[in-house]
Amino acid sequence: MKKKISIKTIIITIITLILLAISLFPFYYMVVQSFTSWDLVDKTLVPAGFTLRSYEYLIGRGGSTNSLMWVKALWNSFVVSFPTAVISVAVGLAIGYSVSKLKFKGERMIMNTLLFQMFFPTIILLVPRYMITRPLANSYAGMIIPLCISIWAVFMYINYFKTIPDDVFEAARIDGAGNLKILAMIAFPITKSVTTIVFLSIFMQRWSELMWDMLISPDINMQTLNVLISTQFKPMGAFPGPMYAASVILTLPIIILFLCFSKYFKEGISFMLK
Amino acid sequence: MKNKFKLSPGKKRGIVGWLLNAPYLIYSLVFFLIPLIWAAWLSVMDWNLMSKNKTFVGLNNFKALFTDARVQAAFVNSFKYLVPIVILCFIGGLIIALLVSKLPDKIKGIVAVLFFIPYLTSGVATSVVVKYFFNYNSVFNTFLREHFNLNINWLTDERFAFWIMVGIVVWKMSGYYALFILSGIESIDVEVNEACALDGSKGFHKLIHVTLPIIMPTLTTVIVLATGLAFGIYTEPYLLTGGGPNLTTTSWQLEIYNTSFTRFQSGYGAAMAIASAVQIFITLRIINFVTDKLNHKFGY
Repeated sequence: MKKKISIKTIIITIITLILLAISLFPFYYMVVQSFTSWDLVDKTLVPAGFTLRSYEYLIGRGGSTNSLMWVKALWNSFVVSFPTAVISVAVGLAIGYSVSKLKFKGERMIMNTLLFQMFFPTIILLVPRYMITRPLANSYAGMIIPLCISIWAVFMYINYFKTIPDDVFEAARIDGAGNLKILAMIAFPITKSVTTIVFLSIFMQRWSELMWDMLISPDINMQTLNVLISTQFKPMGAFPGPMYAASVILTLPIIILFLCFSKYFKEGISFMLK
Repeated sequence: MKNKFKLSPGKKRGIVGWLLNAPYLIYSLVFFLIPLIWAAWLSVMDWNLMSKNKTFVGLNNFKALFTDARVQAAFVNSFKYLVPIVILCFIGGLIIALLVSKLPDKIKGIVAVLFFIPYLTSGVATSVVVKYFFNYNSVFNTFLREHFNLNINWLTDERFAFWIMVGIVVWKMSGYYALFILSGIESIDVEVNEACALDGSKGFHKLIHVTLPIIMPTLTTVIVLATGLAFGIYTEPYLLTGGGPNLTTTSWQLEIYNTSFTRFQSGYGAAMAIASAVQIFITLRIINFVTDKLNHKFGY
């Protein structure tokens, strides 16, 4: 028996798709302008005068003066974001496991420290953090270390471990597994959905960070793509075409990453609400 | 007989526990506790970030806050951002969630994810598009000039710049909040829906009297998240308006950054940061109080 699609469903679908089109319009506009010939950029809403010049400019051709700075910036973004996400996951996992499953003395103190930091506005720490990190200016370490721990990620893990019965870990302990082995072989695999969400969210946040990277890494060869676009497009004289192309390249990796893992999303989001 | 080299399980757990937390504790010491004390100390100093000379100025930095037009603007703007952002993000998220929840199952998932994409976009990419889109010679403004004889400088006009900032945030966050609200809506029991059908409760009536009260805890999450967001605005005004025109789009983050790192008044910047934290703290307490009351009313 075929299920009938009601008129109501059709109307709702159409309204939703119109809303979706509005919501995605900036991306459409960005992509179209990045492929438009330079004399028509921003003068058209539909693809016109197709050219790859804006992208060629980014790899040092088409009249660019600094040959590889855009490529370097993209590389820098990866080199900064990837380790940050890995460290956030590792630290979150370690704290989450130890606080909710180990029952050791000091657990209380660590929980309180975490809670205090969770709701603390980090803007207060900006200048001193900058002073402390200044010896590492224009280095990857200076960009990665001060932002490598996410309290939000830690709480994601703590709350997730709380939903897992202690028996799971007790059984392994009776079998003679050490704590590190339990962490790697049992705790890490069962947190797959949380790990996916935490990794992607931290990667995305770090990828889009502006203030800290701008401060600590002003050297043009050490800027992330996010910072390079913002410094290059500020003067009114910048060519719009390459700015659009760079924005497309800035946006694409994150969207691809999230679409690849989108099936874990619902699980993660419904968990985040608990 | 007790082996003196063998640790008791409790002690061993303790050592492992502390070891697992050691990186975090060291991080907290270096990048949290020390900066916190340092910030408090800076706030009573007059110092330009570079020079060897620091002068103790007592509470003068804090006194100066009260007569600083930029500080007043940042203070007022936090609330001016907060109200429309919380309301519009909530409405936007609710509309998307309600629409998506009624879609056929086949496309539900993918549509929800597509609405989520703006959330993934860096503020820098958004700012590039917005800045050029609202440029004098852009296709949009040319169209307005030729067909409606309208000549608007969107980003330098006090009437519009602020709302463009709000629009960007609402555009960016609605799909994200919709996911939260959606999973709230979907957690509503089949039984509740059946009871509604029996009682003839549907449409707007059902939304107000059944759906909203049930997803109230979710809404609390959304409101608190949106509050944090409204206080954290930085990238968009930094790149699009520089806080102008006439300080209408400026924010705490932007003013603290500029004071500390472009005007090099780091002591004064630290005082500003503390003032902003006090405002955030009090605002969050008030919001918690109100949402608690509301949750209580609906029996949570």
